[in-house]
Amino acid sequence: MKLNQENYLLSMLHSELADAVGREYVSGNAADRLGHSIDYYWIPEMWHDRGRENPKPDFIVHPGSAEEVAKVMKIANQYKIPVTPWGGGSGSQGGALPIYGGIILDTKRMNKVLAVDTESLTVTAETGINTQHLEWAVEKAGFSTMHFPASIACATLGGFLAHRGTGVLSTKYGKIEDMVMSVEVVTPTGEIINTLPVPRHASGPDLTMIYLGSEGTLGVITKVTMKIHPIPETRKFHAFLFKDMHEAMMAGANIMRSRLHPCVIRLYDEPETAKLIKRVLNIDKQGAYLVFGFDGPEKIVDLEMEEACKICRKREHEDLGTEMGQAWWDHRYKFFYPPYMFHLPQAFGTLDTVATFANIEKVYWAMKNAVNDKYPEAVFIGHFSHWYEWGAMLYARFIVENPPQDPHEATLYYNSIWDLAIRAAIREGGVINEHHGVGLKLGRLMKELYGPAFNVLGSIKKAIDPNNIMNPGKMGF
Amino acid sequence: MHIDNYNDTINACRFCFMCRHLSAVGNVTFRESDTPRGRALLTGKMLREMKDLHPDYIDTFYRAELSAANRFHCVSHYDEAGLIMAARRDIVEAGLAPENVKKLAAELVKAEFTVEGSGSTLYYVDLYSDKANAPKDCKIISGGDTGRALEVLGFVKEAETVWTKFQTAVKASGCRTIVTSCPASYDMMKKRLDGVKVLHSSEFIEGKPGSGTVYYLDSDYLKNYNDNMQAPRELLKKLGYELKPFGTNTEESYSAGEGAVVYDRLYPELTAKLCGRIAGLADNPADVLVTASPYTRFALNKYAPQLRVLLLDEVAARGIK
Repeated sequence: MKLNQENYLLSMLHSELADAVGREYVSGNAADRLGHSIDYYWIPEMWHDRGRENPKPDFIVHPGSAEEVAKVMKIANQYKIPVTPWGGGSGSQGGALPIYGGIILDTKRMNKVLAVDTESLTVTAETGINTQHLEWAVEKAGFSTMHFPASIACATLGGFLAHRGTGVLSTKYGKIEDMVMSVEVVTPTGEIINTLPVPRHASGPDLTMIYLGSEGTLGVITKVTMKIHPIPETRKFHAFLFKDMHEAMMAGANIMRSRLHPCVIRLYDEPETAKLIKRVLNIDKQGAYLVFGFDGPEKIVDLEMEEACKICRKREHEDLGTEMGQAWWDHRYKFFYPPYMFHLPQAFGTLDTVATFANIEKVYWAMKNAVNDKYPEAVFIGHFSHWYEWGAMLYARFIVENPPQDPHEATLYYNSIWDLAIRAAIREGGVINEHHGVGLKLGRLMKELYGPAFNVLGSIKKAIDPNNIMNPGKMGF
Repeated sequence: MHIDNYNDTINACRFCFMCRHLSAVGNVTFRESDTPRGRALLTGKMLREMKDLHPDYIDTFYRAELSAANRFHCVSHYDEAGLIMAARRDIVEAGLAPENVKKLAAELVKAEFTVEGSGSTLYYVDLYSDKANAPKDCKIISGGDTGRALEVLGFVKEAETVWTKFQTAVKASGCRTIVTSCPASYDMMKKRLDGVKVLHSSEFIEGKPGSGTVYYLDSDYLKNYNDNMQAPRELLKKLGYELKPFGTNTEESYSAGEGAVVYDRLYPELTAKLCGRIAGLADNPADVLVTASPYTRFALNKYAPQLRVLLLDEVAARGIK
């Protein structure tokens, strides 16, 4: 049902929602509706910048518990009103945008750390907690989540679960899905369910994993138990410069193939080394900058570091030492603050892709060539952020200085760059994407990415959310 | 418009989420509009829609606690607090200030300052302090807020009137040094009082030796406006107290709206929530929390009476027992 701001039915619904979560926690406030109409996706930012109105929610509700979430779901199902979960709103894919109006279910009031289990090394928390607040709380207990994404200060824990987020130290500690033990979910029809308490079992398919990455289309994750880790005795970094990206990629891949256990590897291509590494870290070099780190007991760290450096030194290199590696760690979030981050009037997008080592460079060149050939005005840069035993994630970006002024034209122009780059990546075995999610931005390409397998996802969605109230228009649903 | 002077901040903050974890009001209301990003989005709209500015937008600007923790945190230090003060000034000049704000401003503008006592140093007693706590051998100046409260409410002309009265009284006192416990007034005096040495009480009082464990709550005006985290801590350490870190971090504002000077007068329910968050972060309600801000002490005593909150000056003078 599409609500009308002038219709008394809106007030009737307001009363019902207030009954569910408390009057104080239902808002139709104009300032709040504006704040919830724009996330970190370029399209709504551009739309706002051009003086246009973005689609707004009719209500923002702030439930304080899974029980209150369930009540909201039942109301929404009864009236067939869209519900869009919103955590920090810092997603780049438009996943939290209320494109059909309805209810924004803001989870931030569910922000408690419920338990730290120092025997099993787990923390249980409500998912509306800001992840920096969670990390601080866990650190105070003497541990760490080891989840350090650039959006740590912006996003909620639920946001990372919903989009299968990744932190800087993923190479050792894993993506968020590797950190999760179990979740509590409120289904679209208002039931509160829990997945099994441990992530490794042979009791059927992994129900937890159905919800991770579902971006609020299959329900609302309200509670999670996740692993925590001791604070490592030491964490050390080292940086190298290689003549080009290929040489640096070989070095990084060899570190991974050697089965050493770096906590992080990051490789910047030549254009990004020239542009961002210079600007943010003040390292003015030509070539491809590679940094890696190890953490844990100092003796083991030193040994692994020595072996990793040996691998790098087998190729033509410039050894930048520990200081220029540490500088990267110290300033790892600075890249994302203004004015270092790209900003309007520029058009920009992160073509986040993941592939095996056999394919990842092919993916890079296919995307870069496709963008450069058709859109020579676009600058294409990239770095490889997250490394696995089998491959790596490419954080490629395009930047256009002067996109069209007309917002409709700008949208079409922007989408055409995305379509071109993503199709090129998929052809080379790339998967879109690794940690930003799908959202509104990439939903139209899910069928191409999955092929007939997308029908399985569609069937799950229909079974779980029969009235399609949960975040409609996202993930291709 | 005054917010035109903050276009760089509007453009930087309106799509940036990097400091939202430090949005003191946002952390207790959970509203997107109660963050620097939300407010910058509103100011962007304000530039286009001043005549028809929605009352909800105006209320949001006044809800801001102005802790400046976000500005302090930002790697580029975009002046999100300055932007809100400029927006409030534009609202006042357009005649759009809410009635409760106007009423409070009318009260604050009545300030008349008197100087009493003897000594070569002048001690300013703010709205939330008691003359009885003034250091000995000081002249005392009192009579109202120095104009800082009016300034943050957007009543800049009225603030100038009060400030002129205050400055005149200070000059007439003949003192060359002025001390205050109020970090907001300290900030204003430090920036604007010519020819007079300005000290916060933590930089002036000597105090008596004491013992015990205390948690120090940073003042917004000392830390985020003046980059002074050390003076109060050093005083406490010098007196013999063991300092423990409060809460989970040193970045969040634990001052209950001190940045907005008279926040409690406009938004008692939000002040109560800010105090509730602070109470929730305390290790133990029996712990001794020390603040350098009389406002913060007042707010916490009023809204989180289960906590044991003392003013730095009191601890220095009388200990924690």
